[in-house]
Amino acid sequence: MNVTCNDRDRIFEDGTPAEWAALEAHTAFCPLCAEEVRAWKSLSVAAKELRDYSDSPSFWPRIERVLAKEAARNAPRAERKGWFSFLLDLSPAWQTALAGALVLILTLSAGRIYLRRPFHGGGTVDPSLLKSQALKEVESAETAYERAIDKLAAEAKPHLESPATPLLANYQEKLLLLDSAIAELRVQAGMNPSNAQLRYQLLAMYQEKQQTLEEVLEAKRQ
Amino acid sequence: MGTMGLALPWKARISSTPRERGKRVEPSEHFAGGPSPAAVDALSEDAALAAACRSGDLRAYERLYTVHGARMKNLARNVLGNPMDAEDAVQETFLKVQRSIASFRGQSSFVTWTYRILINTCYDARRSRLRKKEVANDDSEQTPGLEPRAPGAHPSLRMALERALAKLTKHQRDVFLLYEVEGFRHAEIAGMLEMTETASKNTLFQAKKNLRLMLEPPRSSAAEVR
Ligand SMILES: [Zn+2]
Repeated sequence: MNVTCNDRDRIFEDGTPAEWAALEAHTAFCPLCAEEVRAWKSLSVAAKELRDYSDSPSFWPRIERVLAKEAARNAPRAERKGWFSFLLDLSPAWQTALAGALVLILTLSAGRIYLRRPFHGGGTVDPSLLKSQALKEVESAETAYERAIDKLAAEAKPHLESPATPLLANYQEKLLLLDSAIAELRVQAGMNPSNAQLRYQLLAMYQEKQQTLEEVLEAKRQ
Repeated sequence: MGTMGLALPWKARISSTPRERGKRVEPSEHFAGGPSPAAVDALSEDAALAAACRSGDLRAYERLYTVHGARMKNLARNVLGNPMDAEDAVQETFLKVQRSIASFRGQSSFVTWTYRILINTCYDARRSRLRKKEVANDDSEQTPGLEPRAPGAHPSLRMALERALAKLTKHQRDVFLLYEVEGFRHAEIAGMLEMTETASKNTLFQAKKNLRLMLEPPRSSAAEVR
């Protein structure tokens, strides 16, 4: 490859390695280009003077503290927001299935509340509020579900962490969705513990999660 | 966080040292026929790091810091002129990454995106410093105050270069710092500064031409100055 003095700037700007080699060869006979190439390269050498990668041991801990504080501050908000934003990421099929499931759950909950509501002789007590005895029952049912789910989740965890089949990946997706819904309902139930509808929805979600985990383990056995 | 104990796929693959500087591979140096395996690996590492940060795992941020923290701080110091402001800018960048990671959609690489945030943060800091100076009615200094740092081999050369850099346009200075000092490729710089790769190459060319004139004027005019 032959280069001339006129090619110099273009090679400085965007020369290929072959063009650079040809320019270097040209400098053996051209003092002007030799001087220009030397000056050009010396800028890259000088730039190294602006590197100071010395470590400051206290810097990461300082950043980490700020990040942890921010994470803690946003945790409750993220939990609430998380479940709505997660819906948007779901495939349309899952969105439809979930919508159907929620309608079913709400219908069942409403039915159960209606059937279980205590009889009050003409009083004006809000039937959607749980009485203390019913609340205790619901809470113990929740605890039982949580325990059963924890056991199942521990068993299913290795299969869900790196799902080997599309079916397991689907189950993983569904469980994430259920977790978000449970977290959301728990926040709401926490703010209003006697709200029967919320508590039964929560129980229904637990039941659904338990079933799903059982299906995961069943799928893995097959 | 719910990710505690999860196997992090990137953990084993991301090297613990910053990419070897000065061993830049330009796209033109790649063999034809698609990206190299190393480039593919780097891309998947980048995606894994982004996903881990998105999950809220602070260890992922620590990983980002381990690989890029020193370079981020050095870049910020060269833009802002002193290590304290540089540390503030890097910390602010991590916070901004954490706050907006949910909106990161992967149009550029995660690392490129992080550096873009850093550069914007540095210029925000510069602007606010300038405003404060105006309020204080102190117009004695136009360029950032350059504070002492770890001595290099040629302190006078470094100081001369810092002064000359301060006289370049913002884009010329950024491209020079990213390419010549931090060792990024033009493709990466293009993503960070939202310009084309060709524009990045041309801007570097203009930057170096101007620096050459400032640092090493043609011999005839140098003699006149003396
Ligand atoms: Zn020549």
